Amino acid sequence: MSLSKSEIERYQRQLLVDGWDQERLKSARVLIVGVGGLGGISATYLAAAGVGHLRICDSDSVEQSNLNRQILFTAEDIGKPKAALVARRLSAQNPEIEIEAISNKLTEANVSGLASGCDLIIDGLDNHSDRLKLNKASFDLNIPFVYGAINEWLGQLSLFNPPQSACLACLMPEELPSLKPTPVFGALPGVIGSLQATLALRYLLTGENPVSNALLIFRADSMTFETVTFERRPGCGVCGESCR
Amino acid sequence: MIIYLRAGGQLREKLKPDVDHYTRKVEIDGEKTIAEILKDISVDSAFVALIHVDGKLKDLSFKPSDGQTITLQPPVSGG
Ligand SMILES: [Zn+2]
Repeated sequence: MSLSKSEIERYQRQLLVDGWDQERLKSARVLIVGVGGLGGISATYLAAAGVGHLRICDSDSVEQSNLNRQILFTAEDIGKPKAALVARRLSAQNPEIEIEAISNKLTEANVSGLASGCDLIIDGLDNHSDRLKLNKASFDLNIPFVYGAINEWLGQLSLFNPPQSACLACLMPEELPSLKPTPVFGALPGVIGSLQATLALRYLLTGENPVSNALLIFRADSMTFETVTFERRPGCGVCGESCR
Repeated sequence: MIIYLRAGGQLREKLKPDVDHYTRKVEIDGEKTIAEILKDISVDSAFVALIHVDGKLKDLSFKPSDGQTITLQPPVSGG
């Protein structure tokens, strides 16, 4: 897949980056589920970087209380569906790529269809039970999964690429009790969404997973990063011994 | 022996930190699991999503040794 003159000009600064392969990014297909605080940021950077095909899935419409953190939206967007808005906005930012907008809710029945044909799945969700659905599809379809989540002053992320690594269900197999609404300020999903985009681009470019079997935790109150390592659980209901 | 429990987020208030903003010092008699320790100090383990010690994941059956700091991670599920 060759690059046009316009693409070479657009991407000239990143073409200087060691190990960069723009053609490889151009041929990549990525599913982003949820384009709120986290997914709006990762989608923006993947689009700007020239990932050739983005499939964006979000069933929500913009609410006023989203605007403290979901910086792709304006007050005029309130009430409008997020997926179509993000697709339009990112197409304007980078007309060289293809963006598919899907306004469906993620379910166990449609998750495989959504992920099918993609090289990577990015989590922009706001609840753990839907993340477990993405994790299962990631394992079943052998598509790596960039996980990210935030709450108050804490953010965390990882990249699960079974069967090489453990999966999200090895780490947190159950539904998590959560405060509704989640306490969140905008810069934190900005940080974690940017890290997810960085991890995704690095993986697409090199196939490397620097956080295999590791959870990267960012503590925004102390400005510290911690890495917690873990192993595959032999009894994991998704990637454990009985599932392979 | 003395161990230190550290928590942030929603779990911090339930832990009632006394060492610093995040950390509670707990004196225990002999070997106990994290589950038993949390029960003794009336912290519901349902609010503990992850447990880690020195950068390694542990679970509720882990038995801390003297002086160890155990980090209790609250549920982090927003986006
Ligand atoms: Zn697993």
